[in-house]
Amino acid sequence: MIESVGRSVRESVEGLGSAGRISLEGVRALRDVRTWGPLLTDQMRKLGVDSIPIGILIAAFMGIVLALLASYSFTNSVPRYLVGTLVQKTVMMELAPVLTGLALAGRVGASIAAEIGTMRVTEQVDALETLAYDPIAYLVVPRMLAGLVMFPVVVGVAMMVGLIAGWWASMGLLDMSSAQFIKGARLFFDVFDVRYGLVKAASFGVAVTAVGCACGLQARGGSEGVGAAATKAVVTSAVLILVLDAFWAVVWLLGRAT
Amino acid sequence: MKKRSNDFLLGAVILGAIALVTAVSLYLRESDIGTKRSQITARFRDVGQVQVGNAVVIRGVKAGKVERIELAEGGWVLVRISLDEDVALPPNPVLLLGASSLFGEWQATVTGRQSVPASKDVYAQLSDAAGDKDGALPGAVLPDIAQLTSVAGGIAGDIASAAKSFQLAFNDSAARELRASIHSVSLMSNDLARTVRVQSRNLDTIAVDVRSGAEALSRASDGFLRSVARLDSATSGGEVQRIVRESALAAVQVREASERLNQISKSFATTEGHLRSVMFRADSVLIKVDKGQGTLGLMVNDPRLYHHTDSLLMDLRLLFADIKKQPKRYFGIKIF
Repeated sequence: MIESVGRSVRESVEGLGSAGRISLEGVRALRDVRTWGPLLTDQMRKLGVDSIPIGILIAAFMGIVLALLASYSFTNSVPRYLVGTLVQKTVMMELAPVLTGLALAGRVGASIAAEIGTMRVTEQVDALETLAYDPIAYLVVPRMLAGLVMFPVVVGVAMMVGLIAGWWASMGLLDMSSAQFIKGARLFFDVFDVRYGLVKAASFGVAVTAVGCACGLQARGGSEGVGAAATKAVVTSAVLILVLDAFWAVVWLLGRAT
Repeated sequence: MKKRSNDFLLGAVILGAIALVTAVSLYLRESDIGTKRSQITARFRDVGQVQVGNAVVIRGVKAGKVERIELAEGGWVLVRISLDEDVALPPNPVLLLGASSLFGEWQATVTGRQSVPASKDVYAQLSDAAGDKDGALPGAVLPDIAQLTSVAGGIAGDIASAAKSFQLAFNDSAARELRASIHSVSLMSNDLARTVRVQSRNLDTIAVDVRSGAEALSRASDGFLRSVARLDSATSGGEVQRIVRESALAAVQVREASERLNQISKSFATTEGHLRSVMFRADSVLIKVDKGQGTLGLMVNDPRLYHHTDSLLMDLRLLFADIKKQPKRYFGIKIF
């Protein structure tokens, strides 16, 4: 048991280390635009556009549940328009980035790890190197850039859908007026809320794609290794998302709160 | 072809997402692009917890928002607010900052100096901030809810200590006295209930009287209504006109009668003159009689004549009696 704990910790640290190394190599490989440029659009579509439906679905239910939860939590002494405040703040700053990020970690991270892992175990990555292609520039950079750009897009759409769903639920299920909800949503709204959520989403995008690429490139031993790489990518990405969430809260919110 | 399709789809999604996020953010931020807003600056010594974006209200209606808060020379804080188009400031305006709810929400209120809450502290702040050479409105911060809460906390502490003292003072004897007081109150309430019952009966009687009076009034009003109806029908039938005509005719007759009476009175005056002259003459006759002048005067004033006449009458009576008694003595009737 002790050995398994030690192995897990070592693998996690190795995973993070290899993700960091691959990220640094990716930054270095940004100069090779001819290699990653033509592939960027496809990756952005796969990672971003194709992920929008799942983002919308999550955000819609998230907004409805948040409105109901807020209404349930607030007693008679609390004005009902604060339901709008809670939905706006929570959706934009926390739930839309984190829940969408976790969903994309499962969808995108596993996909990247499986795809690159398959290429690794079938020696296609070695073939790229033989053909004088930089595997980082060819495989990692377009995915990381796509994650960097498209995660905020998906999260931005999820924010708006979550807010609209909360507004709809407040009117349809909670007998609140539209003006009440909008008053609450406007009450403490700040553009910083949107910026904070989108920056977090961008960082999640980089983390998920970097971890997926790293796990894929480390895949060994055939299809079993590919499956393990995909699982490891999802778990590591999910943990990393939560860690980054706490990181951004400490860096940005702690200073603003005081 | 697929590449171009991907590019178009990707571009559409990215632009759509940016447009959506921007539009919702502007809507929530209540940004109004292209709308002209008037800018007003006010100065304060302290702005409390008001923040950029807080609402500006005039007479309770949201009319703008706080645009900027900045430190200025002389220990002042300048607050710039923007007001909606066509919003007129009240006369002699001031800007008051205060909490609008218990949840940390603040707002700026533009009001006239005459409408400022009666507070020495607020008046002092406004007087201090008045007279800015750049035309900034004077501003004041209303007491924070936290301060009010602190005061309320102090009051609560006082109440707690009073309650503690009361608890100490409320011993067994106090409880017995309280029980006796409650018993007395119970007795008093019974008396009061009896009184209420009696008064209730009296009120019932009064109510009956009032009801009968009301019925009498009702009947009277009915009679009046009938009279009015009769008058109305009379008016409508022309009887009043007929009565008026007859009254006029009667007046004419009365006038004629009075004229006749006047003539009669004149005749009576003439007759009276005649009568007066007759009386005068009779008077003169009587005076003569009284003086014993003439035959009648002599007869009235001389007693001897009376006595002679009286004796004569006596003799005549005796004669007649004798004639009745012995008629043959005086009368001898012979037919053949």
